Amino acid sequence: MTLGTAARFARREMRGSRSGFVVFLLCLTLGVAAIAAVGTVRAAITRSIADQGAVLLGGDVQMSFTYRFASEDERAFMEKNAARISEIVDFRSMAVVGQGDAADRALTQVKAIDGAYPLTGQVILDPPMSLDEALAPQDGIPGAVADPVLADRLGLSLGDRFRLGVKEFRLSAHLMREPDSATAGFTLGPRTILRSADLAGSGLLEPGSLFDTRYRLLLPAGTDLSQLEAKAQGALADSGMRWQDSRNGAPGMQRFVDRMGSFLVLVGLAGLAVGGVGIGAAVRSYLDGKTETIAVLKSLGASSSTIFATYLLQIAVLAAAGILGGLILGGFAPILAGPLIAARLPIPVEIGLDLRTLAEATLYGALAAALFALWPLARTRDVKAAELFRDLGPNRRNWPGWRLGAILVALALALAGSAIILSGLQRLAFGTVGGIVGALALLALAAAALRFLARRFSHRARGRPALRLALSAIGGPRQEATSVVLSLGLGLSVLAAIGQIDANLRNAIAGDLPDIAPSFFFVDIQPDQIEGFRARLAGDPEVTRVEDAPMLRAVLTRINGEDARKVAGDHWVLRGDRGLTYSALPPPNTDIVAGKWWPKGYDGPPQMSFAREEAEEMGLKLGDVVTVNVLGRDIDATITSLREVTFETAGIGFVMAMDPAALQGAPHSWIATVYADPGAEAAILRDLSNIYPNITAIRVRDAIDRVSDALTAIARATAIAAGVTLLTGLVVLIGAAAAGERARVYEAAVLKTLGATRAMILGSFALRSALMGAAAGIVAVAFGAIAGWWVMVFVMQGSYRFEALSAFVIVTGGALMTLIAGLLFALRPLSARPASVLRARD
Amino acid sequence: MNDVVLKLDKAQLTLSGNAGALDILRGISLEVTRGESLGLVGPSGSGKSSLLMIMGGLERATSGRVMALDHDLTAMDEDALARFRRGNMGIVFQSFHLIPTMTALENVAVPLELAGAADAFDRAAAELGAMGLGSRMNHYPAQLSGGEQQRVALARAAAPRPAILLADEPTGNLDGTTGAAIMDLLFDLRDRHGATLILVTHAPELAQRCDRIIRLADGRIDAEDRPHASKVAE
Repeated sequence: MTLGTAARFARREMRGSRSGFVVFLLCLTLGVAAIAAVGTVRAAITRSIADQGAVLLGGDVQMSFTYRFASEDERAFMEKNAARISEIVDFRSMAVVGQGDAADRALTQVKAIDGAYPLTGQVILDPPMSLDEALAPQDGIPGAVADPVLADRLGLSLGDRFRLGVKEFRLSAHLMREPDSATAGFTLGPRTILRSADLAGSGLLEPGSLFDTRYRLLLPAGTDLSQLEAKAQGALADSGMRWQDSRNGAPGMQRFVDRMGSFLVLVGLAGLAVGGVGIGAAVRSYLDGKTETIAVLKSLGASSSTIFATYLLQIAVLAAAGILGGLILGGFAPILAGPLIAARLPIPVEIGLDLRTLAEATLYGALAAALFALWPLARTRDVKAAELFRDLGPNRRNWPGWRLGAILVALALALAGSAIILSGLQRLAFGTVGGIVGALALLALAAAALRFLARRFSHRARGRPALRLALSAIGGPRQEATSVVLSLGLGLSVLAAIGQIDANLRNAIAGDLPDIAPSFFFVDIQPDQIEGFRARLAGDPEVTRVEDAPMLRAVLTRINGEDARKVAGDHWVLRGDRGLTYSALPPPNTDIVAGKWWPKGYDGPPQMSFAREEAEEMGLKLGDVVTVNVLGRDIDATITSLREVTFETAGIGFVMAMDPAALQGAPHSWIATVYADPGAEAAILRDLSNIYPNITAIRVRDAIDRVSDALTAIARATAIAAGVTLLTGLVVLIGAAAAGERARVYEAAVLKTLGATRAMILGSFALRSALMGAAAGIVAVAFGAIAGWWVMVFVMQGSYRFEALSAFVIVTGGALMTLIAGLLFALRPLSARPASVLRARD
Repeated sequence: MNDVVLKLDKAQLTLSGNAGALDILRGISLEVTRGESLGLVGPSGSGKSSLLMIMGGLERATSGRVMALDHDLTAMDEDALARFRRGNMGIVFQSFHLIPTMTALENVAVPLELAGAADAFDRAAAELGAMGLGSRMNHYPAQLSGGEQQRVALARAAAPRPAILLADEPTGNLDGTTGAAIMDLLFDLRDRHGATLILVTHAPELAQRCDRIIRLADGRIDAEDRPHASKVAE
């Protein structure tokens, strides 16, 4: 045999078969397109972050401090090395409109700037004007610009006045874009920008207030960033200074985009797996239709390998076309939708084709096509010339043989390996690949179980012809049930898992949390205000509980004299600064699990009580000495006790607590949590804000809303990716229904001959579809529950609760989708005249 | 006995296709009595199978009337025809037309179930047993030989004890020996249950087994013969 012969046969064979390939092409195109589209957007954002590092960061370098301004030494270092410097103070505060009881308040994230801001990029205001113009005082009232969301919430029009602390500001413009917003991370309140100098006399930024300072540096051309960083870390060691530079201007965002992008690619892979089922079914159906041709070719002397090559070439050409279609769709759709996508991103992004992404999508597509098409292709070798005389189809073996079996296993491993290596999220990719394989296995089992049960129960359904006909069709030798359950089930499984995780997260945040979380967090309470603060709440019958604690921020820099990161790795306690409190006595309900709390009146060398779980994770034990940097000063403290600390309840939970003598002298403020009846929240906020204008109140409900919003955005992106998976599932489903139409036309004709009415036949078809869809839905829900439980318990370290509503929607949706696809293709069987159908077969 | 079970009055069948209207049957009038066996013969394209389909209500006559067991088939809609066939008519095709997703037993039980028989499966099993297929009941059609499939189709047609049995070249796809066995079974059914049998066939020797033979040509009745009557006369 020559390949040329096979190629000639293949070309002839493909001439009249185009319509049979639609499902194959769509499945592959959709799967590749989803992966290519996600990758294209991710690559564009990554490129943008890399290209615009300095603009996103607001300078070549940013040095940040917590609760303090740069010391003289630090300032001197900056001035020596930078061409220009800009100082920014960032803190939360309450924006207030009106007076007394009629006052309206909203939390805002204030950015106080100097005249040099922004060093790079441009602030965009509405109406268009320069920042200098907007912040200039008018009639002695300094200007401020704010996010339109804040203006809306407070009913502020341009020119209206509002207060921060006890100082008045004038809203001069709406803030439409900050060049450095991508570095701000997650904030609870919308942004206000004003001049630092205008904060004088506001009562804000008192000693102990919670604020960050950020120094942006523009460096002389040719400065070596890594050398300068090393120099800074050496000169300002252990000062609590945090360094960031334009080599990675928005690390938080980059991390988020990387993770989200990889996660969505993994969801896309699930789509490709669904498509794979469709590819397998389409190839099987196409080759079933070619049985006679193959038998004739064999009877004329064609060898098995010629036949195999003939059809392999056809599938290869089709796969190339499908992948190309996917690359075009997935590569260009994000470019066409570029303006829409860019408008939703915090940084300017230009979307263009990315070759690496397209290569990755091609690899996934080719591997998936080969994996799912080869098995049915192998069956061509088993077609015998005798098929011309007798239908041997059901007796054909299903096992592809050892050699091909090994190739299939290698292809599956290559596909899984590529996903695990290329996604960059090894653990998640491993879990996803495992999940897909597990779901496919579960679905294959479910399909087999459904067919078994259908066969068993078809006897029990005697006397109910519509049901029995449906059960016979499901349990019979045709493979429709397997194909439908696999394709729809996998798509629904992805959706069910997302549904379970999303609903559980939402419940944890919005449903469970408010029951146990306080109404408010109050921050920036000055030490001389705490007694009055307690007194106001003590007499209020609506207040059920108040907890307060002094709070400082500290960076844990060393453990037993060694760099903390070298000892404890990248533990979250070591990332940035953490809250630190002091207390003479153990706070109420403290559960000390090891060691002892310091004695009352202790004023010896500093002692620390550490959270038990975090201490274990970091390898800390009683007697270890940790160095914390508090406002630029290093304190060495010995761990003398370990406590259980719960963070889930959103109360006050400090990883680190110290004896009062060690910290009392440091400037600090107090924080408080107030548990109150929701009806009394407004009055409490009003009273406390009127008495103490500098205090910032964070309503837990608002914070929850912000988290929910962020979650909604993530869930939406995921749902779109999962939607592509489901769309592929639907294509496979329609393909299966279309492939089965001929058989149904015949079945309907025979049934009519035997006395069945159209209503009964339709009922039987509908039952058959709904049963298969419901089976797919039930497996999907089971899989979703397992995946949801795994993610909630092991990834989120929370608790899992089965979400019945989401499950119900999935099962019903599955049944409905199959029903609709099935009924779409029931019209022809119902309307066909039995005589013409049956005689055509004679 | 002159008990008419089937009566055609100027039945006409015209099919319209791309090439224009085609007259398949041109005004056929005939009567078939209870228990009679009627052979329909004639060259290919003469309209034998179409005539059978019209008698079974599977095809609707373009004009004229078709009465079966005092029911006017030409006045019924498709569902009414389907309901009428239950228990009244059994049809056997050249290509067997078994439902591939059902076992032999299930195939035979279908018309009984549709007719609401509580003992559908017992009767189906008995029928298959009588056909010598007791050991093949749970096999799917594709697992059976052609002769076995046709015996299942016969069992299915006979199981509801229909008054009329229609057979369209039932041995056309079988070898001579198997075909002869199937014909024995068919006539045996007719004899045992007293059904009227209408048989389309190309084979003269099979037609000779019928009480009456009608020869069709070009959609018309060309000749009519009663082979056994002539034998008696001889």
